[in-house]
Amino acid sequence: MEQKSFGEKLLGVWNTRTIVTVAIGAALFGVLMNYGSIPIFTNTSLTTAMIVPVVVGAMFGPVPAAVAAGVGNTIADLIGGWGMYPAWSVANAVASLFIGALPLYGAYITEGKFDVKHMIIYVVCVIIGNAIAFGVVAQVLTVVLEGGDMNVSLLQGVYASVGNILVECVIGIPVIKLLANRYASRTNLTEEN
Amino acid sequence: MNNRFVINYTPGPTFLHKLTGFTKVALFLVMTAAIISTFDIRILIPLLLINVAEVISMKPNYKPIIIMFLITFVTVTLIGNVMLFVVSPAAGLNNVGAEHILWQSGRFYLSKEFLWYIFVVFIKRTASFASVMAFALATTPSEFASGLNKCGFPYKVCTIVSLAYRTIPDIANDFINIRNSMMMRGLELTGKKVSLWKKLKNTVILLVPMIFTAFGKVGNIANAMDLRGYGKNKKRTWYAEHEASKGDRIVRILTLVLLLLTIYYVVMYRFINPWPAKFWCPWLQPEEIQHINIFDTLFFMKWFKK
Repeated sequence: MEQKSFGEKLLGVWNTRTIVTVAIGAALFGVLMNYGSIPIFTNTSLTTAMIVPVVVGAMFGPVPAAVAAGVGNTIADLIGGWGMYPAWSVANAVASLFIGALPLYGAYITEGKFDVKHMIIYVVCVIIGNAIAFGVVAQVLTVVLEGGDMNVSLLQGVYASVGNILVECVIGIPVIKLLANRYASRTNLTEEN
Repeated sequence: MNNRFVINYTPGPTFLHKLTGFTKVALFLVMTAAIISTFDIRILIPLLLINVAEVISMKPNYKPIIIMFLITFVTVTLIGNVMLFVVSPAAGLNNVGAEHILWQSGRFYLSKEFLWYIFVVFIKRTASFASVMAFALATTPSEFASGLNKCGFPYKVCTIVSLAYRTIPDIANDFINIRNSMMMRGLELTGKKVSLWKKLKNTVILLVPMIFTAFGKVGNIANAMDLRGYGKNKKRTWYAEHEASKGDRIVRILTLVLLLLTIYYVVMYRFINPWPAKFWCPWLQPEEIQHINIFDTLFFMKWFKK
């Protein structure tokens, strides 16, 4: 098995396959933003779109995940037509950098590697990523670009990140596990030392 | 289902539709920059009118646009402003710089400046909404990609954008089919009596086939692109980009003028000679305005100051 350098793990390898995956991820992000929300009460719902950077990150690394989430959110804004919120697109991309960092700590989904140690690191990454993205990045950009009020946007940020953390952990972990099992069952090769 | 989307996949007949991708993307980027750069209603209203005129000139199907506008209005403007009123009634003071109180009850109060702040933010959001609509209605995915590439983005990013755009209807169809068939087999996803935990678990069951279906296409598309030599050269040309017409030149010049005006405005009125508060307000003189540090307005800061 060839060993990848840190930079390659971070950036991903930008061949045609990566590009198509990121594009389809972005499209899926847009579709899930529009259709795939889980209603909790009237008027509030969880979006399942943040599962996309988890999957793309698991396969190709954090930067492809961030591009998929950023482009996906922009496209979702364009088709959903609720206006452009560049602050939230950037925040989602920043959060995805952390969420999609699975290969950096050795969770190679395509080789079927995802165990309890990776799960714990994953949850920590998810929480840190959401805190930075929706606690800092989104707030600064909202105030600078849109002139929104920081208190309201902070409350929305807390709400969004709690929802995201819930989706990324409760839905994300089983999905990654299933993906890993599926990839593992496809190959009968074992690593030789 | 497709009525919900405003994306345009076929080139239309009107003047704006016929422009090249580069012109449309450049106009959209400059327009967005102009709307973001200012909080001054004297500039926002003309920008809003230009964008509304653009939308009207394309003779679109108004129904989805109006529905979207109403949804945005209810969720962002109505609910957002009620929240704003409850959480920080001082938003007027913080952003406009003064307070003339109209009504007060306990810690809640309504000031003239608060209403002005809401109004300006609403105009700004609507202008941004109109510019997004104008762009989404005028541009096909291929034009979007070719325009972005001509604006200097690497072509691989542009391919991502156009490919994502292009696959959205397919993926939306797949999603709806999978969801309907899952619901037919008795998977509860939206019912009111189902607990949140159950809904989340059921969503996993829904999303796994969705992810496999969507990413299962990757191999085919990537192989087809590789076979046609995608990514071999450093540059590529675009089928959708045609020669600039007379209309293109006019719009490009107008875009350039708008860009220069925006830069002039930002340099002149945001840095060299700024209005003392963030928002311009017709009934306030510059001397009346108080300076508020934005970090002092955060509700949790007072816990640290004891």
